[in-house]
Order: sequence, then structure tokens, then C-alpha cells
Amino acid sequence: MKLRMIVSLVGVLAVIVMTRVGVAAHHSNVAFAVETVLEAKGVVKEWQWTNPHTWLIMTVDDGKGGKTEWAMEGRAPGVLTRAGWSPKVLKPGDQITVHYSPSKDGSKVGMIARVTFPDGRILPNAPPGD
Amino acid sequence: MSVRSCLLIIVGVAAVSALVSAQAPPDFSGVYRPINAFGPAGGGGGRAGAPPPAQRPAGQPLPPPTRTAPLSDGSRGRAADAPQLTPEYMAKWQAISKARIAGDTSSDNTARCLPPGMPAMMNMAYGMEVMQTKDKITFFSELNDALRRVYLDGRKPTQKTLDDPTYAGYSTGHWEGDTLVVDTIALRDNSYIEGFSPHSDQMTVHERIRFVENGILEDRITVNDPKALVKPWETVKRYRRAAPGDDQLREFACAEGIEHAK
Repeated sequence: MKLRMIVSLVGVLAVIVMTRVGVAAHHSNVAFAVETVLEAKGVVKEWQWTNPHTWLIMTVDDGKGGKTEWAMEGRAPGVLTRAGWSPKVLKPGDQITVHYSPSKDGSKVGMIARVTFPDGRILPNAPPGD
Repeated sequence: MSVRSCLLIIVGVAAVSALVSAQAPPDFSGVYRPINAFGPAGGGGGRAGAPPPAQRPAGQPLPPPTRTAPLSDGSRGRAADAPQLTPEYMAKWQAISKARIAGDTSSDNTARCLPPGMPAMMNMAYGMEVMQTKDKITFFSELNDALRRVYLDGRKPTQKTLDDPTYAGYSTGHWEGDTLVVDTIALRDNSYIEGFSPHSDQMTVHERIRFVENGILEDRITVNDPKALVKPWETVKRYRRAAPGDDQLREFACAEGIEHAK
């Protein structure tokens, strides 16, 4: 029983550590298949307006009746501000569609190409003309 | 009018015009946006986001985005105008490229919050602010809050400076008419020339910076490195003075996110 608990605890810790490492390992284009752009529909869980890159944590239907959490990496706050974003542009609970480039390592991490709201408003990843 | 008065006037006019030209270099101060941040050798074009609304026919659906970032892992080889590396440094580049294609980000200094370094810093991808006085001109890059100072007061680097290389290096400059001529030395060898091309600690950078037209600043860069380069590498960067309303840079605070990710 005790051993079982320890094993599960180690398992949980490993998942936490791996998730953190997964996020920390990015911050660079080469972690992503930038020529591929996929689509994810979901709900905003958290919007982190941080340098050097922003992070959009979202909940996505896993297609099996469950939910799965994705971390989508955005560009820096400065350049996103010029593209029409802000610290308050995404709020927990917002329904969104995210176009993203998938992580090369298959983790649930992507790089944001653009975000679209249900009313058609779009947040591009570059300012007009860039 | 006597010959003497005429001579006095001529001498006076000459003196004034000499004084004006000697005292009035152009003022580069201001905020700029890059025109060719990643350059033709930057590794595959700009970022594809949604096109700006003005360029999209009304009512038409958006085309799907095709790419999120420049392909900078070297998987398409080296551009024709990339720096020509010696075999030793080409081998280093190939090792970096192989790791990057595999998704290894450890070679990416700026992603680790280190300064981009000269001359790559002059890409100024997120914008540049120039602050100019008679004795010093300072170039500030929003990307990673990186900064370089160019001394215009005639000072020369000391041995202490040469023994202490930095990412931005040590830059001195002078005016040749409307052109600022800058030489940079004392550069660290763990940054990149451009596009992850490595260099040695013997790299020096020569620049000629001027307005080529109203509001367009040009930097003609020549990189010398007897160990890493087969021949000097030349590139030209251009920047447009930022329009009112778009003329502020934002704080970068790179370590904020790195701290968060730990």
C-alpha cells in the first residue's frame, strides 16, 4: 500500500516535472514544426503576458468526451501589442480557435499563428505590414 | 567694395560653411522599425499571421496561416548570401544546425535571454531606438533590451577593454559627411554573425550608417573574421522611422518568462 502510494506520488511528480520541462524547453522556433499549422478549438484557462514569450493555457476537447490542456506559446508582449493584443485581450472562459504549429516532441505545446474569436475577430501574430 | 572686404567676406562664408558642416551631422535619434529584419540570408522569410484587414477583400474567409516563424534551423542549407565560413566554422555551423533540426534550443542565445550580440543585434526585429549626442550614439534593441554605445569623442579602447570582450563589443565612430562610420572590436565568440553562423573572438565589424532617404536609415555592415570567414561578409540593414502612435518600444524583461518556466 505504502509502496503503491510512493509509486503514484513519483508518477505525479514526474508528470509535473515533465510538463514544466516541456514548457521551459521551448522559447525557440526550432522546438516547433513551423511549416505546419493546425487548428485547436477550446476555452482559455490562463493568459500569461510574459517575456520573452507569452503563454496561452487552454482546454481542448480530446475527442473522447474528455478535456485536455494545451500550452500555446505566443510572441513577446511588445510585438503582440503592436498586433492588437493586450494583457486583457484573452480572459479565462473565452471560447477561441487557435491556429498553431505543433511541438516537434509531440507534447501538448504549440506556437501560436493566430487566435480567432467566435465573432470572427482575429488576433494575428504580427503587426500589419511586418 | 575693396579687395580686402571681398576677401574678408569670402573667408567669412567659407569659415561659416565649414563650421556648419563640421558641427551639424544628421540626427539619427528616434524609434525605428526594421524593413528587412531577417534579411535575405535570414533563413526563409517573415512570419505568416493573418494579413492585415485592409489587404483582405471584405466578406472573404481568411486564408489558412501557413507558417508561424522563419525556418531558422538550417534544414534548407545555407543561403547564397550567407557568410562564407572556413571549414572549421562550417563544421561548427553544421553541428548547431543538426541539433536545431532535432529541436534542441540550447544554441539559441536570445531564447535564453542573452544579448543578440553584434552584428546580429542590428536586425532589430522588434524595433530600435537611437539616442544621439555629440560624443556618443546609443542603439537600443527592444529584443532582449540589448544596448550598444558608439563613442564619438575620439577615445580608443584600452587593453583592459580588449581583454574583456562583450556581446555588443566596443564601438568607436566618426562622421564622414552625413555618414556615421563605426568600428567594433572586443566581441565574445559565443554569439552569431547572423542565422546561427558562428564566429571567432577575432571578429570585427565595420559599419557605415546614413539616411538614404527621408526617415529611412541604412546600415552597411562589413564583418571581418580571419579565422571564421573565407572573405569579409557584407550585409545591408534598413530601418524606417516609426510612425506617430507606433513610436514607443516596450520593456522586454526577458528573464521574467524564463523564471516562470523554471
